[in-house]
Amino acid sequence: MINWLANPNRFSKLTNKLQIPLLSISTIMILLGLYYGLFDSPKDYQQGDAVRIMYVHVPSAWLASFLFLSLAISCVFYLVWKHPLADLISNSIAPIGAVFSILTLVTGSLWGKPMWGTWWVWDARLTSMLILFFFYLGYILLSNAFERKIDGSKSASVLAIVGIINLPIIKFSVDWWHTLHQPSSILRMDGPSIDKEMLLPLTLMMVGFSLFSLFLIIINVKTKLLEKKCEALILKLNLKEFS
Amino acid sequence: MTSSNSSWSFVFVTHLKRDFLINFRSLIDLVSIISFMFLIIILFILGVGPFKEKLEIIGNAIIWVGLILSIIPSLEKTLQKDFENGWFDQLATSSIPLEIVLLSRSISYWLIVMIPFLFAAPLFIILLNIELKAVPWLLLTMTIGSLAISLIGLNGASLILGAKRGNILLPILIIPLVIPILIFGVGVNEAIKMEADPISNLLLLVAFTLIYLVISPFISALLIRIAIAR
Repeated sequence: MINWLANPNRFSKLTNKLQIPLLSISTIMILLGLYYGLFDSPKDYQQGDAVRIMYVHVPSAWLASFLFLSLAISCVFYLVWKHPLADLISNSIAPIGAVFSILTLVTGSLWGKPMWGTWWVWDARLTSMLILFFFYLGYILLSNAFERKIDGSKSASVLAIVGIINLPIIKFSVDWWHTLHQPSSILRMDGPSIDKEMLLPLTLMMVGFSLFSLFLIIINVKTKLLEKKCEALILKLNLKEFS
Repeated sequence: MTSSNSSWSFVFVTHLKRDFLINFRSLIDLVSIISFMFLIIILFILGVGPFKEKLEIIGNAIIWVGLILSIIPSLEKTLQKDFENGWFDQLATSSIPLEIVLLSRSISYWLIVMIPFLFAAPLFIILLNIELKAVPWLLLTMTIGSLAISLIGLNGASLILGAKRGNILLPILIIPLVIPILIFGVGVNEAIKMEADPISNLLLLVAFTLIYLVISPFISALLIRIAIAR
């Protein structure tokens, strides 16, 4: 199926059909998740209403890591199998993942100020999320640092693959170092320790965010495909004039 | 050593000698990295002010940050000239393994940083008021850490080969990878200062260095082949 999708026209046709359903489903899920999260779910016994920022913070954090993993996988496809759409997909994922990682850090520090009394602390999870943001930034800057756009793709792909080492550190940092950030409560060996009524809006928001970012990635890839078409047309025009 | 002229150890030693000849030619090369490190440390000291207690708290961090920041600027020179004059094209198409050449280049860069540092270390120790019992550990961790940093630095330099204004990008690419080295290196020194056990941090530092020793030549060789193919 991956090779079937490599044809840009087939990709565009399939994603045209997917676009509006993706946008509507993700919007509905986010709105539902926000409703349940902000109004219908219980207050935390310790943190009160301020816990509700978790419904934005946790999905962004999970999505930032997951998008980096998909960025690295897409780069592997580009380097190893030279899949034609792979570098377009990587370049589309990168800014979205970067924004989610900044959102995680910002919502986290907004949450941290009333809870922990500080905007920022150099605990392992915060530091590794910041490093994840630097990896995203490095990927974007490196892929745009060359004369032709295609020159940067390979070097940046190697950078993204080297950056995978950061993902286990993010995931397990709260288990390895018992500093300020709270330990895992959802993806654990014993199952989630979070309340069921909080788990529902959290899951809704996670899936909603993921579908929304998938929608954004699809739009970005189609735009880049259109740009490539324009470049090819301009090239053909210039060649015709020349001959 | 075998008698074959293209045996790996012969290649390694020859390139090591070549890099030393090129980079250690004049006194300026010997002292440039160390003088930059010295200036960074002076800046920190002047910024902190004449408070001995403050300096004692952050002294270890200052010397590590000085090391990292002084290694980064001269990194792109190590690969740029050979890339531009076509030497890497020759190497890549010859039977000499590119990885061995790059390993010898990072080791020679490490030695170019480390040997002057070991000579200048007493100066830094006096400036930053580092106590005597911490000195052997400081030298040990900086030796191991600077090997890791020069290996990562070679990776970074090969990432930006051929990029316009790539040297501005180099810190952003290198520093996320160098942060664990910094954390564990300072961790060892802080543990010694507080009479705790430095072994865990030291083992992690050595582990990172060994991992980079193995994978960094391969990553750099891949990136140089990509750069040549452009």
